[in-house]
Amino acid sequence: MRDDPIANVLDDLMRLDDILACMVARRNMISVMPASEGFKPEVNQIWDNIHRAMDDVFGVIAAYSQIGLGEMEFRLQDYEVLFYIFPDTENALVAIVPALANKGLLEVELENSRREILKIMANPKQESDSQKKDDEDYVTA
Amino acid sequence: MELTVETAIGMSRKWDAREAGREVAETAIQNLTRPPDFFLLFATIHYEKYGGFQEFLNGVWDVLPKKTPLVGGTVTGFMNNYGCFSRGASALAVSYPSMDVAIGVGKNTKRNPNRAAKQCADMIQNGLKESAYKNKFLLNFISGPVMPSIPGVGQKKYIRSGFVSNFALQALGLSQALVQKGLGREDEIFEETAQQLPDYQMILGTSMDDYKGMRNYQFYNDKILTNAVVNLGVATDLSLNVYTTHGMKETDLHFTITKLGAGNHAICKINDKPAVPELLRLLEWPEGFLTEETMIHTILYYPISLKRHGREVPVVMPMIMKNYIIIPCVIDDGEVSILTVSGKGLINAVKENLHYFDGMQPEFGLFSACMTILQTLGHKTNIIQEELHHYFKDKSFLLFYGAGEGTYSPSKNITYANMSFNTAIFGNSKK
Repeated sequence: MRDDPIANVLDDLMRLDDILACMVARRNMISVMPASEGFKPEVNQIWDNIHRAMDDVFGVIAAYSQIGLGEMEFRLQDYEVLFYIFPDTENALVAIVPALANKGLLEVELENSRREILKIMANPKQESDSQKKDDEDYVTA
Repeated sequence: MELTVETAIGMSRKWDAREAGREVAETAIQNLTRPPDFFLLFATIHYEKYGGFQEFLNGVWDVLPKKTPLVGGTVTGFMNNYGCFSRGASALAVSYPSMDVAIGVGKNTKRNPNRAAKQCADMIQNGLKESAYKNKFLLNFISGPVMPSIPGVGQKKYIRSGFVSNFALQALGLSQALVQKGLGREDEIFEETAQQLPDYQMILGTSMDDYKGMRNYQFYNDKILTNAVVNLGVATDLSLNVYTTHGMKETDLHFTITKLGAGNHAICKINDKPAVPELLRLLEWPEGFLTEETMIHTILYYPISLKRHGREVPVVMPMIMKNYIIIPCVIDDGEVSILTVSGKGLINAVKENLHYFDGMQPEFGLFSACMTILQTLGHKTNIIQEELHHYFKDKSFLLFYGAGEGTYSPSKNITYANMSFNTAIFGNSKK
């Protein structure tokens, strides 16, 4: 898990205050979780409900991603769950944020992460920016 | 051999402040064959938590040639040749022999904006007085608003209590003078700067955090400042021009401001009635509709076109205090139109703005834009980046998002607006 460049991209997202949880997932399966940063504790209390609702949303994603469904979101109590779908797949980058977060700013970084993950998926041997960063840190340490 | 304009965009996405500082300087100067003549530096607020801004600047100066003029500060986000970002750091480095550069600084902008503006403008005036170049440019970069914390309420965009609102309105001026928390007063500084340096083309931008309005920092060489204005002054033989556009459209809703307060920063009455209930009536919104949450999703899309010295000033209403509407700049009373704005309108404003520069062969460009555009468009700001990329091709551009922006030119006078795109392009006129 620690060497997974996609997990490192998720780690970067988790460092943003308002990203409470993020993952790459599909219906009934979380494919990649952050490598070193766990979900923020406040998500735990609502995680079961969110997880159930997410699975229903992934049903919609499976049905419509082939015809261009790009994003989805839902709000559950005080949280919003954002889905950035990888084109023509049933997979999405998912983030849980507080309902009153400055979503526009988060969207910019979520989109950057989606693009970075797509690059990694297209060329799995290529290092992500986050991975390169870690390597550079290692070399200079 | 003719010495050409060399420009480079520096960029870092590292989290550690010192590492990011080094990288943003390295990535810029490695693309230049000569030392830069100036270095504009912008960063998001995140480095405050990951080493601090002094460390960030120390990192920059680990790499940047000593005595390079450097100004900048924290911003909500930025875009450049590489993409759109709401986290990280970016820089614009320029080297050009036919260019003189001066930088300036003025302090205590919220307490005494005019004095800060004069102090800063004087430094530019003195720094460039020997310059033989006729085309003059100024970046006027100012500490943005910092929301005061109201006892028992905290830092809110919407205050429901009438008692607290009355207290807060009275305390606004005091808060600015004593603790320098409150509105940025960038409009007043910009007006004074334009008066001091009337033959400059100017672009105004403000320093902000991540849209929260809690704190912001300005960079001046190796110093970190708060409540400061920093200027970059350039005199050159390059052609240059500035221009402002916004995508706001007038609706058929009009009203008259009949009472102002808080040093003309608050609309107390419109049509001789308490301002907020009357505004809700005009917009056909139910009483009690505005809350901390609905503010974000509704009122920002209904800016109002105010007046200042006869100029149109389109602004958003950033804060509601029971019956009062707080305005980010000093305004005059009189007739007002309610405007509306859409994502498409914002994108069209960028196209219209670039169209204005059709006669220019660009060498580099600097933009200031409203952070509400970033908040509104979210990742669709990439559409703007693609427009800019198409225009500049391999030439450098850097856009930063703040809270209060504008342009000034001797021919067009001051344009101050919210939700706007403000452009300064340097280049050569097309033959």
